[in-house]
Amino acid sequence: MMKFRIVLCLFSLFAFALPASAASIESRTEAINVQLQGNNSYQADLARELASVAQEEKDQHDVNVARTFMNMAEEHAAQAGGSK
Amino acid sequence: MKGRITLFVAALSLTACAAGMPDVSIDQLSNARAAIAAAKAAGAEKCAPKLQAEAVAALYAAGHEFSEKDYHPDENAELASRAESKAKAARAKAVKGCKPEIIKLNGIRFPNDSAKITSAAAAILDKAVATLKRRSDIKVEVAAHTDSVGTDAYNQALSSRRAASVMAYLQSHGISASRLTSKGYGESKPIASNATKAGRAQNRRVELRVQ
Repeated sequence: MMKFRIVLCLFSLFAFALPASAASIESRTEAINVQLQGNNSYQADLARELASVAQEEKDQHDVNVARTFMNMAEEHAAQAGGSK
Repeated sequence: MKGRITLFVAALSLTACAAGMPDVSIDQLSNARAAIAAAKAAGAEKCAPKLQAEAVAALYAAGHEFSEKDYHPDENAELASRAESKAKAARAKAVKGCKPEIIKLNGIRFPNDSAKITSAAAAILDKAVATLKRRSDIKVEVAAHTDSVGTDAYNQALSSRRAASVMAYLQSHGISASRLTSKGYGESKPIASNATKAGRAQNRRVELRVQ
């Protein structure tokens, strides 16, 4: 019974964590915009575009896809090397 | 039994969290893929970065939408078409001509007839060092320019010394020599009138031209 309670508790925590993470798409987009301020390279532009797609997907409540696009955006932002 | 159910639910939840990369290899995106590849080959990532980025992002978005089994057929076709048209525009721009990206080093001044790096110039160059460390994939030409006061030969030699001096500074602060070249342009590329003091000050400059 105790084991079941622990599992249930962990599962609830996991479930509640999902919307919290989804809400951070905006803050991650903002972080990319700040990080790439003044950087007009291809990688920087691609990072901004992918973040924009992530935002659209999130607005359509497709949170998992939004996360995937945001991860891609952050990878390209890292390759872009930050602001200039 | 309870354990198995718990394990199944947990595995299902984790699976739901993981959305794979969009599949852009499908037939419906072949035209867009070809257009993007052609634009890239023409140098669009360097010459038309925004257009090329828009094309690639639209391709990924289309890849995702198509994976939703024609849930929005019009939107899918529009995204594929957008990717293709953006890539074509990027290619056209790249073919037409490519302006090099220039990292300006505003405010760098040298003493008269000198290539010595002053402390004020060093502060500006330290920012350039940070930029080059962040953007580790780029190579740059250190380009130095003078105003038109003096002979062509003198200005050419002075600008070459200054470009070499800046390059040496960047190297000594951790930028690999393999990423750097230097060139003096003398007075050949003014950006303002040499008839005024303000114009001449603008023309005396050093910049990093991304290769």
